[in-house]
Amino acid sequence: MIHEERVILMSRLQAYEDNEGKKDIATANYFRGDYIGLQMLKSVIYITIAAGIFYAGYVFYNLEDFLKSIYETDWIEYAKLLLTRYLVLVIGYALITYMVYAYRYAKAQKNLKKYYGGLKALNAMYHEEA
Amino acid sequence: MTQLLLAKETLKTFVGRNEVYLKPLGKFMLALAAFVMINSYTGYMERINSMSIVLVAALMCSFLPLNFIIICSAAFIILHMYALSMECALVALILFLILALVYFRFAPKDAVVVLLLPMCFYLKIPYVVPVCAGLLATPVSAVAVACGVVVYYMVSYVAGNVSGLSALEAEDMSGRFRYVVDGFLKNKTMVVVMIAFALTVIIVYLIRRLSIDHSWTIAIIAGTIAQMVVLLLGALLMDAEVSTIGIILGSLVSAGIAMAVEFLMFQMDYSRAENVQFEDDEYYYYVKAVPKVILSRPEKTVKKINAQRKKKKSH
Repeated sequence: MIHEERVILMSRLQAYEDNEGKKDIATANYFRGDYIGLQMLKSVIYITIAAGIFYAGYVFYNLEDFLKSIYETDWIEYAKLLLTRYLVLVIGYALITYMVYAYRYAKAQKNLKKYYGGLKALNAMYHEEA
Repeated sequence: MTQLLLAKETLKTFVGRNEVYLKPLGKFMLALAAFVMINSYTGYMERINSMSIVLVAALMCSFLPLNFIIICSAAFIILHMYALSMECALVALILFLILALVYFRFAPKDAVVVLLLPMCFYLKIPYVVPVCAGLLATPVSAVAVACGVVVYYMVSYVAGNVSGLSALEAEDMSGRFRYVVDGFLKNKTMVVVMIAFALTVIIVYLIRRLSIDHSWTIAIIAGTIAQMVVLLLGALLMDAEVSTIGIILGSLVSAGIAMAVEFLMFQMDYSRAENVQFEDDEYYYYVKAVPKVILSRPEKTVKKINAQRKKKKSH
């Protein structure tokens, strides 16, 4: 016999699992610290690549000045300046990443709580029948 | 009004039931429009400036995720720029890469704004995008809107300075690169438009979240007016070139479109047909769940009661 209510509940749960749930489940598979840490690591890599591209563009833009002052520049000072700017950028970006992904993790867990509630109800239906 | 609401319900049900076909069709149309616009606006590379290539690319996009249209459009722009000069392509590539790495990693869904904004610029109604972004998205979309403005002005600067670029010596690569970057980054109009659009997104978002009656309509009107004022004032203060009549007319048309968007999307609990498969110990289930038609019958209200006319008796 097909239990109508059960089918409705199962369809709803499956629909969530196929759409929004996919991401939520993948997110909640991690511990909070691991998830946010991984995202921050990714962010640091991305921002480093972006900063590299930007700096390459900047050098190309000022190529003549660079070539002219190549012997006069204090490269150690220059490297220090670049490094400080890079660090400020990375730390700022990592902070934003932390806030965004902490929020997303909390949201995923909230959605999943509802989903697990549904699963529990489904389980209860099966037990009732048996 | 009731007729319109009924039409909206019918449309909603139709979309819900036929989403499987409508989604690829929508993506196909969007991709086609985007590629045709890019080709007609730039179109320096002969090889990709043909309808067959555009159709094939658009067909491909219709089956792939939405963001593929954006990647394809960026590729089209870079290729056209490359045909013009390598430095232009380099500027475009750097810009797109930085946008993708820094912002769209967080909000990949916002990327569609960067596609729509230049398209609306081409149609002379860019003002509609920030208003709709404020209505439908979050205030963070202000960043995406600003990115869209930069992309448009970069492309339009190159398209408008082809002769200037070709006049520069071919060997001076750095000089040509500087010419393109200077040209579009030092554009005052771009800065004014960026600020105005970003502000509009935030204003519209803040007002539509207020718990007052007609908050969406008020948000559209206030957002449009604020946008016009900031654009005109900014242009005046920063001595930027804008067309006053263009802004006013464009804003009015945009407000109209935003109203239509409000009508369609306001309190939209969009439900779609779901095809799901699952199993338990006894059965395999293949369920197609179709949203119910919730067409409420229009209530008839009696507005005027006429006294019943007495039939004249003819004797």
